Amino acid sequence: MSLYGVMLVVRQEFRVRLRTGRWRWLLGSWVAVLLLFTALLDLSLTGATGPRGVPLFGGLMLFVLALVLIISPALTAQSVNGDRERGTLATLQVTRLTATEIAVGKLLAGWGVGLVALALALPFVGWSIVEGGMTVLRTFVVLLVVALLIGVVCAISLGLSALLARSITSALLSYLAVFALTVGTAVTFGLSAGVIGGDRATAKVWWMLAPNPFVVLADATPKLPPAFDIQGHEIPQPGDPLGELGRSVRQLRDPDYYDEYADEPQHHPNPGPVWPYGLTFDLLVGAGAVWLTARQLRTPAARLPRGIRVA
Amino acid sequence: MRIAVRRYAVSIVRGGWAVTDTEYGVVARGVTRGFGPVQALRGLDLTVPYGQVTALVGPNGAGKTTLLLILATLLRPDFGEVRVAGLDPVHDPSGVRSRMGWMPDVFGVYEQLTVREYLAFFAAAYRLDGAVSNQRISDALLRTHLFEYANRPVHILSRGQKQRLALGRAMLHEPAVLLLDEPASGLDPRSRVELRDLLRALAAAGVAVLVSSHILSELEEIADRVVFVNEGRTVDEQDIHQLAANHMSQWRVRAADPDALRAALEQRGVTAGASSGAGTELPAMAEDAAAELLAGLVADGVRVVAFGPVGSHLETAYLAMTQERR
Repeated sequence: MSLYGVMLVVRQEFRVRLRTGRWRWLLGSWVAVLLLFTALLDLSLTGATGPRGVPLFGGLMLFVLALVLIISPALTAQSVNGDRERGTLATLQVTRLTATEIAVGKLLAGWGVGLVALALALPFVGWSIVEGGMTVLRTFVVLLVVALLIGVVCAISLGLSALLARSITSALLSYLAVFALTVGTAVTFGLSAGVIGGDRATAKVWWMLAPNPFVVLADATPKLPPAFDIQGHEIPQPGDPLGELGRSVRQLRDPDYYDEYADEPQHHPNPGPVWPYGLTFDLLVGAGAVWLTARQLRTPAARLPRGIRVA
Repeated sequence: MRIAVRRYAVSIVRGGWAVTDTEYGVVARGVTRGFGPVQALRGLDLTVPYGQVTALVGPNGAGKTTLLLILATLLRPDFGEVRVAGLDPVHDPSGVRSRMGWMPDVFGVYEQLTVREYLAFFAAAYRLDGAVSNQRISDALLRTHLFEYANRPVHILSRGQKQRLALGRAMLHEPAVLLLDEPASGLDPRSRVELRDLLRALAAAGVAVLVSSHILSELEEIADRVVFVNEGRTVDEQDIHQLAANHMSQWRVRAADPDALRAALEQRGVTAGASSGAGTELPAMAEDAAAELLAGLVADGVRVVAFGPVGSHLETAYLAMTQERR
């Protein structure tokens, strides 16, 4: 694999896509939706305790994550089989580009578009920072995790597009995969906990929730530092959707743990974080999907996916 | 422009005979390939010499496209020996790719790009560097008569023009072996003549050209050799001139005075067939016998206007081959 080959594929994908779609309209409406959401959320927070930046940022990023999870499958779910259907894949495969270069290039192109969407949310992130209460670390980590999750969904969709003959099927399955990661993990967790029963059921099945992108994002969000007023009295923390979601997920690992123990870990150890498991799992699935894509693109092909003509 | 032909002194030894690849751009021996329950190739043999155009002829489903996909490094054969430009496409696909050009029968183009951008992308994908790349692109545009379309988007091209663009793409890296699957389909008569001239020029420059086609009358003008395939096997591999000389084909003769012609034929014991405006049908004869008859008729004082084979030799040979199938 060479950078030259990867970048050639990325540039080509970008060029071909940018000239087909109505990107200006799509990106314009994306920004309009974010503007409307941020403005309404900001208005609804009037009168809330503490700086409004924290809840504004949390709400915004959960909203952005939900939207990019919907957008991302569309970016790569037809990358391979769509090219096959249009008859442009085989001519690419007989050049000196390798299967890995084509696979990685197509992933980066789709991921790149997703990152552009994320970048367009930055002004609204700035808005929440201006509202106060945010830290640089928290902003950076949350954006990074969302960026990685976009890549994971793009990779899964790319893998499906390489595995399946029809682009409609792979697009549908990509959305099902996102559904499984979000709703599926929650339902599986809930049902399993119910079946096991008892007070400590969630301690046995908390890991089922770990791959959930919302859980990963919330739990990976760094804690807010305690804030004090001029007299040195601690200010009550503002509403924090990300932090609260993260805390409640950790609590599932240890149902006997209460927030009051947080300051005295010697009395009751804090339950460990959930996000390293979830993020590692998601990244491994994504990496596996890219590996699978490259394998499917490798020629000369011994076996072909069902219903495929090479050219 | 001169096409550089790289020659390799690798030899394949199999079954007691040896071929050196300095002579052949493509050598295939006993190639088989199945798709699930369907056996597309059942032991196909083929040689494509450098400096010649070889025609691959056979009915639909004979395995022509499958064979070309194997030669183009896209499909792995189940069994058999394959060498393209002296290299094994299974073990060294990238080596083969830099020496082989392929044009599929059905293909898509990046509709959004301009003609020049399209070629430039593939030049980059073949890792040609700047100056060489620009030279080759201009060259491809000239050879395929697309120069005036260089800056127009690909989607405005007609089917035949896209076909020519794909041919230009296949030649960008000056391959020593050129594989063309149905290149003439969709081309207008002028483009076909130009394609013929282009392929002849490439062969003259030393390229090994393999063309599959259904348009037999045209292949006869383009090709030096013909390989007949049917049901995944090679039926016959022949020099086209030999084919014409040996093959018993139908002939037709037309004379200024049809009655004199009939009388002369009767006298020579030749059973004449139906007569039409195009002439009188004669029984099947080899070239030698036909030449003899023509000389005789002229000697008899018949004023012969036209004398020639009905259809093309290739066509009659092809029809005879597919007849056996029924």
